Amino acid sequence: MSTMGAAGEEPSVTPRRSKRTEILENRPVNLDGFVEEWPEVGMVAMDSPYDPQPSVRVENGVVVEMDGRTREEFDFLDQFIADHAIDAEAAERAMALSAIEIAHMLVDPKVSRDEVLAVSSGLTPAKLLEVVKTMNVVEIMMAMQKMRARRTPANQAHSTSARDNPVQVVADAAEAALRGFRELETTLGVVRYAPLVAIALQVGAQAARPGVLTQCALEEATELELGMRGITGYAETISVYGTEPVFCDGDDTPWSKAFLASAYASRGIKMRFTSGTGSEVQMGNAQGKSMLYLEIRCVLVTKGAGVQGLQNGSISCIGVPGAVPAGIRAVAAENLVASMVGLECASGNDQSFSHSDMRRTARLMPQLLAGTDFVCSGYSSVPNYDNMFAGSNLDCEDYDDWNVIQRDLQVDGALRHVPEDEILAARNRAARALQGVFAHLDLPSITDREIEAVTYSHGSEDLPFRDVLEDLKGAQSVMDRGITGLDIVKGLEAGGFADIAESLLGVLRQRVSGDLLHTSAILTPELTTLSAVNDPNDYAGPGTGYRPTGARWEEMKRLRHVVSARNPEEEVG
Amino acid sequence: MTPIELDPQRDYPLASNRPELLRTPTGKRLDEITMQAVLAGEVAAEDLRIAPDTLRLQAQIAESAGRAQLGENFRRAAELTALPDEKVLAIYNALRPQASTEQELLDIAEELERDYSAPLCGRLVREAADVYERRDILAG
Amino acid sequence: MGGNPAVEGVAGKRILELTETGEARSGRRSDEVVIGISPAFGAFFSTTIVGLPHAEVLRELLAGIEEQGVRARVVRFRHSADVAVIAHTSAKLSGSGIGIGILSRGTTVIHQKDLVRLSNLELFPQAPLMDLETFRKVGRNAARYAKGESPEPVPSRNDHMARPRWQAKAALLHIKETEFVRAHAEPVELGVEIRMAHAG
Repeated sequence: MSTMGAAGEEPSVTPRRSKRTEILENRPVNLDGFVEEWPEVGMVAMDSPYDPQPSVRVENGVVVEMDGRTREEFDFLDQFIADHAIDAEAAERAMALSAIEIAHMLVDPKVSRDEVLAVSSGLTPAKLLEVVKTMNVVEIMMAMQKMRARRTPANQAHSTSARDNPVQVVADAAEAALRGFRELETTLGVVRYAPLVAIALQVGAQAARPGVLTQCALEEATELELGMRGITGYAETISVYGTEPVFCDGDDTPWSKAFLASAYASRGIKMRFTSGTGSEVQMGNAQGKSMLYLEIRCVLVTKGAGVQGLQNGSISCIGVPGAVPAGIRAVAAENLVASMVGLECASGNDQSFSHSDMRRTARLMPQLLAGTDFVCSGYSSVPNYDNMFAGSNLDCEDYDDWNVIQRDLQVDGALRHVPEDEILAARNRAARALQGVFAHLDLPSITDREIEAVTYSHGSEDLPFRDVLEDLKGAQSVMDRGITGLDIVKGLEAGGFADIAESLLGVLRQRVSGDLLHTSAILTPELTTLSAVNDPNDYAGPGTGYRPTGARWEEMKRLRHVVSARNPEEEVG
Repeated sequence: MTPIELDPQRDYPLASNRPELLRTPTGKRLDEITMQAVLAGEVAAEDLRIAPDTLRLQAQIAESAGRAQLGENFRRAAELTALPDEKVLAIYNALRPQASTEQELLDIAEELERDYSAPLCGRLVREAADVYERRDILAG
Repeated sequence: MGGNPAVEGVAGKRILELTETGEARSGRRSDEVVIGISPAFGAFFSTTIVGLPHAEVLRELLAGIEEQGVRARVVRFRHSADVAVIAHTSAKLSGSGIGIGILSRGTTVIHQKDLVRLSNLELFPQAPLMDLETFRKVGRNAARYAKGESPEPVPSRNDHMARPRWQAKAALLHIKETEFVRAHAEPVELGVEIRMAHAG
């Protein structure tokens, strides 16, 4: 913003600049926005003089005072947190520990995850804030490594299309599954397209490497309906906010959201909430509190609602904490707070964050290196121009970089290199399977030309246009005819894709058992549930916990180009 | 309530380790949901739902694993299996800010308790009525 | 970064003078569009988030409307910095039922009085992508709606790098604009003069 001050003044000679300044001025990082802190309005990451001091008082098993407010002064978040999130029996003893002591417990590998959870269950929002404020980024990562719920890290991708083209979505979903993602999320430019794109996502997700769970980000009621019909597999865009007025602006309360959580579970559908630093200040009502304090309130509302997990890490507001000092430390801390109170954490890295490749990689490191339940809650499996969540921190052009970083550091980011012939086969077969399903369900046809194009394409610009009006009519008919996941199964079987049909039926059958409702649950390609219950994080210092070894490490060693040791004139494939 | 005692270490995931405990709301066993049955039209969308008893088993597992709130959510969900989809959506909408009067919320709570044997959900709605009144986010 | 040398270089510097002429009334002419501006537009703030001078922005909106043979009135809203409220109330004050709402940072909505507030005819949520050409098209389309036509919506633009660059500044601008909100203040009618600054 260096030239702003000159506007409107006398014309003046621009002072001579050095060549180095010019080069620095032109670096991509200087296209990012940075602003000064302004704590009075909440434009401050985690260190504000206006955040409350921790306190708690319990009478007859009820929290009657929390963080300097009495029950009569509680706003609705305070009350929900005090009555549902905090274990009143554990509170006074836990709160008696100093923030430093608790932070030491978090970092010390000799203190078990369970011991930390026993303490954190009694902590108030202000106390949790005080604890993470004592920690630097490396300590936050140390703690995350121990506190994340599931032992094995996983990853989630976005599969969207700038033209809402279902043929693109089915192919990119299949490729993403093959590359290792265990969850896929889509959304729409034109909302009425949702049923067709959600069907495409579901087919693609089972086509190449089954067991991938899918979701479609829509307004709450439609999202629930697609879930109930088995067209999608889980839900995530259930937003919560850290102040009462912003929560109400979102047309919800902690009670309406808790009820919605039970509604999903009552249909056997996995779900998580979404929140993130910066949303309250962005909406102009942070009540003068730091971004992280407000986010910690969201984490505790999520826990109190009995939801298994949370997508956080600023998410769509990342430009706000990203612009203030220590903002990215605060974002790493909010992920940690979700994990340290026992929730699944899908840890952001899902929105365009910086013009600078160095900076967007640095922003990713705390989650990638420590490992989280889902390192990205939306790695764009399509080029960012096709990303209908307005772009992600990583997209499909970064696949090889990601794989090399995993191999360099021997850190498992849950992806793998896949040879091109396998990818082409998967894309082609997924598109043909969708062609069969659309034909079976009497939806607008998919041509062989489209299938050929999508097999070799990069993004929607490389694909033939579809007849949008016909597609929208088809989408409407999916809703009107009451088409469900079972109809997709039958369509796959009828089209000659028995294995994909069987996989999808296997995924749908999961909701009868409810195993996927537990914390951090994913399905393996063999359709076995892996969650914090049967794959609990057992990190206890060097030599323990999850480390990529054996077959997985061999898989991670493979890249697009690796020179053969036996014959250096060749590459190993 | 179910008298079965579950051990998360041994019994979870129920689909692999205790399939004999699982039934669809229509009374089918998991191994009856086969491709053959789907193609023969013997499996309907209602067969791919979770039964209230299953949710209570999962609540036990959540509680044994130290997740009290998650267990409570599953117990509320068990109650909601009895409600049709439209009813669930209508109650959700009624709980939004400025959407209902105190009396309307209390009527919903009573309906949940009386018609659906859903005391936990009823309690959640009563609690909302009380807080909404204090925080001035009732309708009207 | 910042500033907008292209505008200043080509167009020279224009000065915007807004004079309050009394409480804004409902219009009776069916051939008018009301442009509603936010509390600090052309007052505390003089440019949009990307540095387009408010004088130029208003000039393009007015020109777009007038080239369609439609009259424009400009009204300042003081009770809200919510673009939906400003646009919807403008539409209700407009004899044609069509209004444009604009915030200081450049966020713009074309509204129609019979729609619900959170709906709209056209919405331009990404203030950093609003250039003068787009503002001219917004004025033109609003005028065409006022004449009962159904114009093609102004093409929306998308830039996935707008967030890292502008999101935090947008939040600051929003908070700052909100400081100028006065709870029960009525909208006021404005006289608009846009003239070239004397060089030197």
